[in-house]
Amino acid sequence: MSDIDIKRISYLAKLKLPSEKEEFYSQSLEDIIQWVDNLKKIDTSNVKPLHNVTEATVSIRNDNIEKNNTPEDVLKNSPERAQNFFKVPKVVE
Amino acid sequence: MPKRQPISSLVNSLKEKKISVHELFDQFHKVAKENKNNSYNLVLDPDYQKSNIEASQERYSAGTNLPLDGIPLGIKDLFCTKGITTTASSKILSNFIPQYESFVTQQLLNDGAIFIGKNNCDEFAMGSSNETSHFGPVVNPWQNKNNPSEKLVPGGSSGGSAAAVAEGSCVASMGTDTGGSIRQPASLCGLVGLKPTFGSCSRWGIVAFASSLDQAGPITNCVEDAAYILNSISKHDFNDSTSSNYQRDDYIKDIDKKLDHKIKIGIPSDYLKNVTPEITAQIENTKKSLAGHDIEFIDVAFETTDYALSTYYIIAPAEASSNLARYDGIRYGVREEGSNLDDIYLNSRTSGFGDEVTRRILIGTYVLSAGYYDAYYRQAQKVRRLIKDDFQRVFQEVDFILTPTTPNEAFKIGEKLDPIAMYMNDVFTVPTSLAGLPGISLPSGLSSNGLPLGVQIIGNYFEEKKLLQLSNLIEKELSFNE
Amino acid sequence: MSNNWEMVIGLEVHAQLKTTSKLFSSSPNLFGSEPNENVNFIDSGMPGMLPVLNWACIEKAIKTGFALNFTINKHSVFERKNYFYPDLPQGYQISQFEFPILSEGYLDIDQPDGSTKKIRIERAHLEQDAGKSIHDIDPKFSFIDLNRVGTPLLEIVSYPDLSSAEDVVNYMSSLRQTLMYIDVCDGNMQEGSLRADVNLSVRKPGGELGTRCEIKNLNSFKFIRQAIEFEFQRQIEVLEAGESVEQNTMLFDTNTGETRPMRSKEFSHDYRYFPDPDLLPVNLTDEQINQIKPSMEELPHEKMNRYINEYKIDKDISKIIIAEKENTVLFEQMINESDVAPKNIASCLVGDIFAFIKEKNTEVLSLLEFTKDITDLLKLISEDVISNKAGKEILPQVLEGKGKPNELVKKMGLEQVSDTSELEKIIDEALVGEEENIAKFQGGSDRVLGYFVGKCLKSTKGKGNPKLINKILLEKLKIINGKSLIFENCDKINDK
Ligand SMILES: [Mg+2]
Ligand SMILES: [Zn+2]
Repeated sequence: MSDIDIKRISYLAKLKLPSEKEEFYSQSLEDIIQWVDNLKKIDTSNVKPLHNVTEATVSIRNDNIEKNNTPEDVLKNSPERAQNFFKVPKVVE
Repeated sequence: MPKRQPISSLVNSLKEKKISVHELFDQFHKVAKENKNNSYNLVLDPDYQKSNIEASQERYSAGTNLPLDGIPLGIKDLFCTKGITTTASSKILSNFIPQYESFVTQQLLNDGAIFIGKNNCDEFAMGSSNETSHFGPVVNPWQNKNNPSEKLVPGGSSGGSAAAVAEGSCVASMGTDTGGSIRQPASLCGLVGLKPTFGSCSRWGIVAFASSLDQAGPITNCVEDAAYILNSISKHDFNDSTSSNYQRDDYIKDIDKKLDHKIKIGIPSDYLKNVTPEITAQIENTKKSLAGHDIEFIDVAFETTDYALSTYYIIAPAEASSNLARYDGIRYGVREEGSNLDDIYLNSRTSGFGDEVTRRILIGTYVLSAGYYDAYYRQAQKVRRLIKDDFQRVFQEVDFILTPTTPNEAFKIGEKLDPIAMYMNDVFTVPTSLAGLPGISLPSGLSSNGLPLGVQIIGNYFEEKKLLQLSNLIEKELSFNE
Repeated sequence: MSNNWEMVIGLEVHAQLKTTSKLFSSSPNLFGSEPNENVNFIDSGMPGMLPVLNWACIEKAIKTGFALNFTINKHSVFERKNYFYPDLPQGYQISQFEFPILSEGYLDIDQPDGSTKKIRIERAHLEQDAGKSIHDIDPKFSFIDLNRVGTPLLEIVSYPDLSSAEDVVNYMSSLRQTLMYIDVCDGNMQEGSLRADVNLSVRKPGGELGTRCEIKNLNSFKFIRQAIEFEFQRQIEVLEAGESVEQNTMLFDTNTGETRPMRSKEFSHDYRYFPDPDLLPVNLTDEQINQIKPSMEELPHEKMNRYINEYKIDKDISKIIIAEKENTVLFEQMINESDVAPKNIASCLVGDIFAFIKEKNTEVLSLLEFTKDITDLLKLISEDVISNKAGKEILPQVLEGKGKPNELVKKMGLEQVSDTSELEKIIDEALVGEEENIAKFQGGSDRVLGYFVGKCLKSTKGKGNPKLINKILLEKLKIINGKSLIFENCDKINDK
């Protein structure tokens, strides 16, 4: 059996795998993880991780306001709204 | 496949009034509307484009036409288009209408292009066969001459784009390439597919798959068309922090220019280790076609090729798992019912994403999770540096690298069920993506089944101009389109 | 019970940066707008939208670095902190994790015994604020307002060097003061510009650190105090009952003054931080960093030292003035505009002006337009045109903008009687029939002099110049008694 905790992974990803598919994904994940395991063979102790091929410094902007849209533009696609708020079932903390 | 007119000659016909913008649009729209290969998620009709068509026609009449004026283009349904449904071929975005235009498509509009519609693709660009689309698979317009009734995949993820250009429903189509998603379908559909250097074309407004890899590029009938489109879309964009501000060339100018000095092309032996003779033949054909030119072919070897796919299938899903977190049914997209907030998240995302997207989100979540980050994600980032360095080493010896684009011809829809077998399709394109280098796929010949095969030429960073010049030469010498 | 337990506290303070636009988008960074008014496509996490870093945020971080003795890191990296929440549109917060912009700083706080205590600060990093979920409009729904999404935050993480609620409040207010001085944060805690997460554990003195609980999002000193005291007792009770403290994230209920654990999660968090591929690392040059140094505002303790050494102002009064940056703005403007002794300005400010501000509940900075009038008034007092007492009467009118001091003096008839012959007449009258008291004066009772001055002032209806009256009175008494006088006494009276 795999050490991949599919329940935990899917919970973190906010996915609810139907129980009949849990095994399928679990197996598939395990196959792929095994397949990529060959990377462990490479000695990278002296290698710096590469985050982005463009190894320049970040581009920056000046602290100015630009307003190119209305609240309506932002809310237009919302599944549910109340006036100019997005609406969701009550959040309990 | 019938010979297509290049953009330059279409522009001439429009200039000379041999055809009107409207007629040209209709001609392509008619094919698109049939959508017999399912290459469109949405086709825009002439009525919708009326004002654009008229404005374009007016510019031709006034002699002020723009570089791509009146040229009907397909747009992969991953580019946000203002007021036009943009789905990424996913259920979760099936009702999403962006209120903004992606940088790249805005450049095309600025240059007068007219969009035919939104091309089908793999869901969130995750796939190599266009079978993961929520709107069904795209069919390759090419047929296996030994088995014409078989429906073949066009490749992916820009499969709809490739099929659309191949079927003649648009002059060219904008695709995106993360690990081969432009080059591979171009190859399987007998077309030219260019993935520019990472940072060449802005990612602003393109539905993100893997941010450090995604790059927009054209799928076209010929090299010159790719140059036309690259001229339009390759610009520095202040709103994409990874967009490069290097000085772009005019890619059309001197595209026909003869080589003025000897060039060296490396052929990596490790790419040809396990391929069929048919694939090796593509490289040989290409070499042969260039025999009359001052080109030296050099055997080169990479040390990291075997690790590229693994590296890619850690980094791309990791980034994707995070990029796709915003699809939660709260602010846009399809929301599924739920008794509480968590249910809405779970139901919307579970029902909104297909199997392959779900799989990749799970992989990505796993490799980033506590206890696995160092072993997988960080290790992959390190190997990615080794891959980049490997290319830089080889580029000290050679000007270009020549490889096959794909290990196989177009395969049957439904044939590859195993994800790893599917991932292997990108074995030749993924290293270039990881290194962020420009790569182009050119049609190089037909298989014994009469299906197109392609070769990939890889250039050094931002050397698209030289890459297009060489590609243009190869295209002429191979005469694939004749 | 708590006698044999001590608390160990570390603080995570979130300071909203005072910028025009947001951390990664050009939307206004504004409090109190209409719902979703300051939201663009980046803030709302629309597909394909990308962040672009606001340089002002780096600048403010660097200033904080200088002010709090941090190492300013030339290389810092923005990472994604992944979790789902409806007011987090991207599904991740862009923050700094492995490579923060600032590390290893400290802040000295005052102790009750007058000494200072060094509070070490582990790190400070830039990150985005989230939006707001509003739960109290509808019983069944929460409403989401994304205006606050992307507001730049500097999260300042202290070491667990704090050991009392007092310490925490001192640290927090000193931090707040510093950030306001260098114009990094407006310090408005009510609006959430400064929020604290309190990490508290208890132990026996010298014992091992206990399990800590994090109390989230406290935005007033009162709540911080209450929450700490409650949580301290709660942990002690748990331990003394022989149980163990569970590591938990706590919420503070402002109504009951109690802390309670957040709804327990099925699985613990796993934020899966990784470098944001949409952003490149921030690589700063020495030049960029040093360029900011000259624009650094004076820090509170620097100001205080200057007030004491240059302006000769008492330490206690200096301390009162520097407590809020706006006080110093008002104060320094008065000093710069006039040649009135800084000492006089300072005592007027912390006395009558603060009393006025408190009574009228006005903003300190709203008085900036009257600084010239205030110093003019102080000048009238120092030049003996009016009495101190008259000055006190006029000041509120000046602060309410009811007129210029010299006009008000005339209008209110408060000009001092400084005519010597007139005063002599009054004094002569006052001394009539006071033989007994004169004799007492002769006997060395200085209280008598005060009595005489008072009597004279009364007959001038307070308008007599007390200094002058004093002087003449002394002369007269000297003549009357033919004796030399104790001038120290007189000086004392003159001062009053
Ligand atoms: Mg915290
Ligand atoms: Zn924070």
